[in-house]
Amino acid sequence: MDIRVLDPNPIYLDQTFRLRFRFSNNYPIESPEVTFIPLTSPPRPVPLHPHVYSNGYICLDLLGASGWSPVQNVESVCMSIQSMLTGNVKAERPPGDEDFVRRNTLRPRDVNFVYEDATV
Amino acid sequence: MLLAMKVTIKEWNAVATWRWDMPEDEVCGICRVQFDGTCPTCKYPGDECTLLIGKCGHSFHMHCLRTWIDQESSKGLCPMCRQKFESKRE
Repeated sequence: MDIRVLDPNPIYLDQTFRLRFRFSNNYPIESPEVTFIPLTSPPRPVPLHPHVYSNGYICLDLLGASGWSPVQNVESVCMSIQSMLTGNVKAERPPGDEDFVRRNTLRPRDVNFVYEDATV
Repeated sequence: MLLAMKVTIKEWNAVATWRWDMPEDEVCGICRVQFDGTCPTCKYPGDECTLLIGKCGHSFHMHCLRTWIDQESSKGLCPMCRQKFESKRE
C-alpha cells in the first residue's frame, strides 16, 4: 500500500511511501504487522520521523497489543500513519535508531516500544 | 349474475422470514459482515449466532465480541469506544 502526505509538510513533500501489511489468521482480533519498506524503483524511502526506525519499523500504539482494536482496518491504520507524518516537524530518527536496527531480532509487534513522547 | 365456486383447501404451507431488529445496512464492526449474516465462524444466522448490544450502544456478533473480550489485551473494553463492555440484556 502506497501512502502520501497530502498537505505541504516540507519533510515529506513529493514523496511516496510503501507500507507492508501482514495479517495473521487472528486478524482483526490481532493487529496486522505494518512496516514501511524501502524501494529504489519506484523510489519509496522510509519517512524521517522520530517514531519510524530506519528499518521501517513504526512505533505507534495502535499497532501494538495495547492500542489495537478489532474495529480498526487498513484504511484507518493508513489514516493514523498519515496523520502521524502530517503533524511531524522533526526530520529525525528515533533516539538509538542505529543500535536498534543493528541489534533487533524481534518482529515489530513484539518489540517493547516505550511510547514516551506523545507530542510527535 | 354471479357464479360462486366452491374451493376446498386440502393443504397449505406457511413461509416466514425474520431479521434482527437492526438497521439493514449495519455491519458488525469486528468482522464487517452485516448483522443479518453470521459471524465468520458460523454457517447459519439465528439464535446460535446472536448479537450483543452493549450499554454503550455498540453492537457486535456475539462470537466476534467474545473472541475479542477473551484476549487479555482487550481489558474487557468495547472495541468502538473503549468503555467497559456490558451487555444490555443478560
